[in-house]
Amino acid sequence: MGKEILEVKNLTIQYRTDLETVYAVNGISFSLKEGETLGLVGETGAGKTTAALGIMGLLPERTAVIPKGEVKFDGKDLLKLSEQEMQKIRGSKMSMIFQDPMTALNPVLPVGKQIGEALYLHNEENLTNSQIEEKVEETLELVGIPKERKVEYPYQFSGGMRQRVVIAIALICNPGLLIADEPTTALDVTIQAQILTMICNLQRKYGTSVIMITHDLGVVAETCDKVAIMYAGEVVEYGTLRDIFTGDRHHPYTEGLFGSIPSLTGDSRRLHPIEGLMPDPTKKPEGCWFAPRCGKCTEKCKKQVPPVYEKDGHQIRCHLFDEQDTEEVQ
Amino acid sequence: MHKYIIKRLLYMIPVLLGVAFLVFAILSLTPGDPGSIILGITAKPEDIAALNAEFGYDKPFLVRFFNYIGDLVLHFDLGTSYQSRQPVIEDIMARFPNTLILTIFSMSIASILGISLGIVSAVRQYSVLDHTCVVVALIFASIPGFWLGLMLMLLFSLKLHWLPSYGAGSLKHFILPTLTVCMSSAAGLLRLTRSAMLETIRQEYIRTAKAKGASQKRIIWKHALRNALLPVVTTLGTSFGASLGGAIIAETVFAMPGMGTLITTAIRQKDIPVVMGATLFLATLFSLIILLVDVLYAFIDPRIKAKYQNGGRSRE
Repeated sequence: MGKEILEVKNLTIQYRTDLETVYAVNGISFSLKEGETLGLVGETGAGKTTAALGIMGLLPERTAVIPKGEVKFDGKDLLKLSEQEMQKIRGSKMSMIFQDPMTALNPVLPVGKQIGEALYLHNEENLTNSQIEEKVEETLELVGIPKERKVEYPYQFSGGMRQRVVIAIALICNPGLLIADEPTTALDVTIQAQILTMICNLQRKYGTSVIMITHDLGVVAETCDKVAIMYAGEVVEYGTLRDIFTGDRHHPYTEGLFGSIPSLTGDSRRLHPIEGLMPDPTKKPEGCWFAPRCGKCTEKCKKQVPPVYEKDGHQIRCHLFDEQDTEEVQ
Repeated sequence: MHKYIIKRLLYMIPVLLGVAFLVFAILSLTPGDPGSIILGITAKPEDIAALNAEFGYDKPFLVRFFNYIGDLVLHFDLGTSYQSRQPVIEDIMARFPNTLILTIFSMSIASILGISLGIVSAVRQYSVLDHTCVVVALIFASIPGFWLGLMLMLLFSLKLHWLPSYGAGSLKHFILPTLTVCMSSAAGLLRLTRSAMLETIRQEYIRTAKAKGASQKRIIWKHALRNALLPVVTTLGTSFGASLGGAIIAETVFAMPGMGTLITTAIRQKDIPVVMGATLFLATLFSLIILLVDVLYAFIDPRIKAKYQNGGRSRE
């Protein structure tokens, strides 16, 4: 493991319209070293994709606001860069795999052109057009598509193949950071496994750092080094894969998440979901966001925002962990 | 692709036959006959009957229709005008160039203005420029053509004496009619381009392009424009076709001898060969333009091209 490549500190993102303010991401912090994989886990609407778009600088211009926070990438605070400077970083040093391969590709351009575009835009090694074409073919083969298909259009590919094209687009410039936003959600299980293995192999080959956004704990267990559990725009628990999967202290939400996985060995007849729904993101609560759904909720939880408690790098945002051996971080 | 075009050309035959039958039926089944219109109400009934017999108007409707179609298909003959006693094709050829020039001028200006301002408007949504474009477009889309024509005439012909107010002698004569026709088309195209563009730049593949580090200019030109142009091309094609026959208002206001006035006058005079000839001529042109638009689609969108090549069967 090398040096830190990405450090997100207290990142806060809101969507503001004339009618309401949506508190999409509320002060999340995490960091990522070279070659590491971080899993960003949470329900639909937890703010995972918004956080990723915030890092990439791809939030919708008119509505999204970042009132505070820091995104340090290679020592630079991305939130302070101009659009032109961001354009140089996007696609070359960091790139993103989008969730829905059916809509993420331009229907009127051949896939080869779409894959080669990033390289053409960030042509630092002054490659000639034919060298770019060669690299496009190489990348296509890498993601398991015959290179002859580069002249074909997206409609000629199946969903799984299109996701490979989306991955090829993200990988062609060998970025230092790859954000994979639910790369396998739209795919069936057999293709899921192939795509994940592929991303992991490529990561090992090029030493890329990956942020894996998913709501599938199985995917996390297979691929990640670190895990951040997100709920209502906050990171409620953050630690190494071991901390989250085998540690004995957990945030009640994490326990709920693991509790809702059906057991293969036990003979339970029912699924155990977390009761209730995600809170309304437009109404910031007085206390903990999770309080209304939490089985261990106290009076304090309803009134006071819980701080983050840390022990050996394992962070939990919950009043229950206000103990002797934990340390409060801001 | 060739197969598709040939198929579409063959489809035109029943369409044109249908148009011919419909127009012929309406003209023949409405009251009045060419003889009494030409000779006037004071003429003797025998003279009127003789003139009608000369035109063949005394025969039953279906017989006349099949005679007409027979002449047209076998001899490429559009018949002779009842009024001017000249071949219909000559009447059409005397008028059509004016209409064609007017249409080409007004449609080129309308598409240049409408599409470019529509794109700028969408890219800078909510800016002062956008608001101005939207309001001005709304005004021009709602102004009736005859009023705009009269006002232009009032200003440029009567007050300023810059431009002639009627006729079709020189290019100068075309300026005011062109403006009259093109302003409402430009306004329509602007609104359409703007909304199509706005929808396109919100698509996820635009975000993908942005994630590659493409600049806004590149995103608009390389990624968004082609996708946004499809509905615009459709409208452009239909309004081009429609304005070939439908510039009647501008032609009437500026007393310009064009296709529109040719047909309206002929209808009033029950000059069946002229109405038929001009209508079929325009219907053929219109069908060809629609075919051209459909072929253009294939070059804009590869999915449609594949559909044409599969003989109408889509792969998706």
